[in-house]
Amino acid sequence: MVRVSRALLKDGGLGISKTLSEILVCPLSKQPLRICEERNSLISDAIGVSYPIVDGIPCLVPNDGKIIDNNDMPKPEGAVDSPDEKGMSRGSV
Amino acid sequence: MAASSHLSLRPLPGHNRPIFRSICRPVLCAADRQALFNRIAPVYDNLNDMLSLGQHRIWKRMAVSWSGAKEGDNVLDLCCGSGDLAFLLSEKVGPKGKVIGVDFSKEQLSVASSRQHLRSKACYNNIKWVEGSALDLPFSDCYFDAITMGYGLRNVIDFRTAMEGMYRVLKPGSKTSVLDFNKSTGTLATSIQEWMIDNVVVPVATGYGLEKEYKYLESSIQEFLTGTDLEKLALEAGFANAKHFEISGGLMGNLVATR
Repeated sequence: MVRVSRALLKDGGLGISKTLSEILVCPLSKQPLRICEERNSLISDAIGVSYPIVDGIPCLVPNDGKIIDNNDMPKPEGAVDSPDEKGMSRGSV
Repeated sequence: MAASSHLSLRPLPGHNRPIFRSICRPVLCAADRQALFNRIAPVYDNLNDMLSLGQHRIWKRMAVSWSGAKEGDNVLDLCCGSGDLAFLLSEKVGPKGKVIGVDFSKEQLSVASSRQHLRSKACYNNIKWVEGSALDLPFSDCYFDAITMGYGLRNVIDFRTAMEGMYRVLKPGSKTSVLDFNKSTGTLATSIQEWMIDNVVVPVATGYGLEKEYKYLESSIQEFLTGTDLEKLALEAGFANAKHFEISGGLMGNLVATR
């Protein structure tokens, strides 16, 4: 089911190319972004913010960013929970 | 966003930089400008053609030429709007190159993306659209071989930050080419510009229900910088050299700055 969804995302033009995602950085931290295919967004792990991709266009105006709720967002492979994560509070971008 | 834009107009403590736009408040905040460009998106291309009698196409080709973009380059079109400059850049850099078109207006990018899909040239596949701010460019340092910015800098709420951003993402030795209305004072060109806006642009735009949006044009030109000030701003932002060219009898101007 997940494999089919990923194929649809790419073929339907909702996702972005890997090449583009490698060019882009977080507009605030200037650190690399990673694609989150489940949420169709780009994640800035450096500052814990996600930016949506709408109709294949990444939305990287700072106001488009949303603070990630760590309980909801799938982590990158190999990531380990830090002791501080559960104590992090929400803020606004 | 509007609050942070106003804060960015004041100099940082300890920095003795000349202050541009410290006396006049911007006529529209960043959010209002974004909304304005979203509203005019559906008729933007038609109005550009009509109001400039098609000449904007020539000015844009000149801007691309001045940018030095060539085959295989990675280039940025900032404030790309509906994509005119991006499509010209796409033809220049070819299939081995890449064009990124950045704009803060979703609606303008939607028009750009539609135009890309309607056009038959395969080379336009090398264009990618990104919704982004000229004040917070989502690119690494020293990435691009050339930048163009057509009728965008005048609409950015903080010229200095935009200029510094372009400097940051340009490779050393590469150029930015910034095309816009020419701001000058007391010249025949200024009088013609003002007359055309009052007697041609605004009446035509009114016919499309966009009187207020195109009246903004006049005040945005008044708030803009002269060619000399643009050259100075580019040098202060770190560019090694900067030259402003007047075109079309002084109605339009193009800044070329080299990192």
